[in-house]
Amino acid sequence: MHLMQSKERAAILGYGAYVPYYRLPTTEIAKVWKGGGSGPNVEKAVASMDEDTVTMAIEAGREAVKMSGVQSLGAVFVGTESKPYAVKPTSTMVAQALGQHHTLAADLEFACKAGTEAMQVVTGLVGSGMIEAGLAIGMDTAQGRPGDDLEYTAASGGAAYVIGRRGKDAVAVIDCSTSFVSDTGDFWRRAHERYPRHLSRFTGEPAYFYHIENSVKTLFKETGHKPSDFKYAVFHQPNPRFPVEVASRLGFTMDQIKTGLLNPMIGNTYAGSSPIGLAAVLDEARPGDKILMASFGSGAGSDAFCIEVLEGIEKSRGVNPTVKSMLERGTKIDYSTYSKFRDKLHK
Amino acid sequence: MTIQYWRQRDRYYRLVGSACSECGAEFFPPVYRCKKCGSEKITDKEMPQTGKVLTYTRLHEPLPGFEAQAPFYLAVITLDNGTRVLSQIVDSPDESVKTGARVRAIVRRARVDGESGQIVYGYKFCTV
Repeated sequence: MHLMQSKERAAILGYGAYVPYYRLPTTEIAKVWKGGGSGPNVEKAVASMDEDTVTMAIEAGREAVKMSGVQSLGAVFVGTESKPYAVKPTSTMVAQALGQHHTLAADLEFACKAGTEAMQVVTGLVGSGMIEAGLAIGMDTAQGRPGDDLEYTAASGGAAYVIGRRGKDAVAVIDCSTSFVSDTGDFWRRAHERYPRHLSRFTGEPAYFYHIENSVKTLFKETGHKPSDFKYAVFHQPNPRFPVEVASRLGFTMDQIKTGLLNPMIGNTYAGSSPIGLAAVLDEARPGDKILMASFGSGAGSDAFCIEVLEGIEKSRGVNPTVKSMLERGTKIDYSTYSKFRDKLHK
Repeated sequence: MTIQYWRQRDRYYRLVGSACSECGAEFFPPVYRCKKCGSEKITDKEMPQTGKVLTYTRLHEPLPGFEAQAPFYLAVITLDNGTRVLSQIVDSPDESVKTGARVRAIVRRARVDGESGQIVYGYKFCTV
């Protein structure tokens, strides 16, 4: 058995998403580097010059804690590949801002799947009875080298989840998960390097598709679930095309993935990508709905989750801003402003 | 990062001010003695994270360290408990920044100590 499932099921007690205020249309990037056209996504979310993974994790974390009503967190994990410090934890700054001190705090790194890893670890700590509740955050301010294909999609944002013992107000139960990993050099960033490098088309078949298909098929095989059992599915979204393709290969329809498919509007928020897609789904899901979420992280691996929405979802409505409202609040910027915001242009 | 800032990080991250145990008055920034009744029975208290703009200006010539952010809004904000805070307003449409506008606190980078020094975080506000 490869299924990760605790005897005492853990549940999502609260969640909060964060999408920065600024949006860069990909036509702006294409205008500068290709003389016209656009990228695969319409826009990407861009963190302002005074934002980073710490500030965004604090905002999402505050919303998640508010919805959960939890006073004491036994763990604070931040999954990210854009830590402001190489050495100094992001998680302790988040914990401090949330007023949490008697807590296990750590930063997790696994490219774009560090957020779902954080969710798995907190789920395990809760399921084993070691903690009552913990906070798992997937958040990134992803950077692409100017002119590189990645620049069109590398974006900022993510989501936070308070996971704890299942009570009457729990939003959704995390039934089980699977993970699948291998040594795959599809995408990397060496120490002291500012921008990641990638192997172009190698990022698809042997990386994204191979790992997600394996994690999801393992979950199906060991739980007996099939695609039609799920009302929603959320896949990691490096671009608009991959999640649609992997959904189709695994037997899911557009109807099942459209709610959580945010890449066309905000780009790839890396460790925040599948967690924020899940947040968008929870914003509209109903009690009894089953959700499949599968992340992908380069290097490489995938975590697949089976989540079932509970009655408490109805009580959570209106507590926090929805992902949709965050998408609507943004404002467009040009390439020059983006360059200034993301430290590519100095005075 | 100065040691003084580090000691005050809850003030900057969470708007932790003071409350007087005798008369209930609340203060931000924190005080050691109640400005209303003189009591020294003071406890830490997190201020409301929302308020409204009392007055504001748009700064085009900011202090050193903030040049890249210019122009930006600087406002006096009356929090929902009546205490006042001087703060930047960010991520807000120009037309929404006005006297009486509702705002909420957010955490942002306040200052960065060069390429290798520490990053100082603090409160800013945005309109809601």
